Amino acid sequence: MNDIPLSYFLIVSALLFSLGLGIMLLKRNMIFVLMGIELMLNAANLNLIAFSRQDDQMQGMVFSVFVLVIGVCEMTIALAIILQVYRQFKNIDLGAEKSRF
Amino acid sequence: MNPMIVSFLVLAGLTSASALAMVWTKNLLHAALAMFMCMLGLAGLYVMAYADVMAVAHLLIYVGGVLILILFGIMLTQNPIANVSETQNDLWTKQSGRFWALSISLSIFLGLIVILTRSMSSFSIASGEIQRSSKLTHLGLALLTEYSFAFELAGVFLLIALVGATYIAKHHE
Repeated sequence: MNDIPLSYFLIVSALLFSLGLGIMLLKRNMIFVLMGIELMLNAANLNLIAFSRQDDQMQGMVFSVFVLVIGVCEMTIALAIILQVYRQFKNIDLGAEKSRF
Repeated sequence: MNPMIVSFLVLAGLTSASALAMVWTKNLLHAALAMFMCMLGLAGLYVMAYADVMAVAHLLIYVGGVLILILFGIMLTQNPIANVSETQNDLWTKQSGRFWALSISLSIFLGLIVILTRSMSSFSIASGEIQRSSKLTHLGLALLTEYSFAFELAGVFLLIALVGATYIAKHHE
């Protein structure tokens, strides 16, 4: 039973990170941008977990637990802010004519 | 081929293909579905990296929590007058921004690949012994002894974030 090489995880993680960045830059809907940010957070998490596979102290895995918690907090706060933006402007597009920022 | 490698490639293909679908689609609900598949594939990848605890936590938090939150966000921020279609929410993305966004992300991906292939032999952390056992006991012990202060702080932070989100999202007159 062979193990998967570390580079495979790193390549998948690099792909996920760049796709999340592409979503962030490409889309104009705020919820879409948030989903891109989540993708980038998960790419970083995959890196941490893949490296912590060879660490008997498991520092990367403990750190990824905290990354998970921070990501959830960011998501709830950002969605609440998006809800208020929608109530204010009736629109959640970034840079559209109707929104003022 | 090795069954571990094959299952890893299947899971990595699922994750990458659904992330690509998230980039490709303009439909927010299709993107939420693609994100669901992406999170399932990522949990499988965590299992492949011998991190079973993180896979279960990831499934619980992302598929069970964050995705439902995103779907609620989509439902609460749709303008019923502007959307003529009843079956899908088509979203307009800026067409002229596609070139720069995709070229920036592609160049970052290629740069990361170049860095990884050049420095692959010099990772000193990657030379350790791979631990194949379940990490549940070790992770619980580490969280409650060595990292107990950060763990409690994360709990308080979560509470503050939830209360703050509830306060921000309520109707202010």
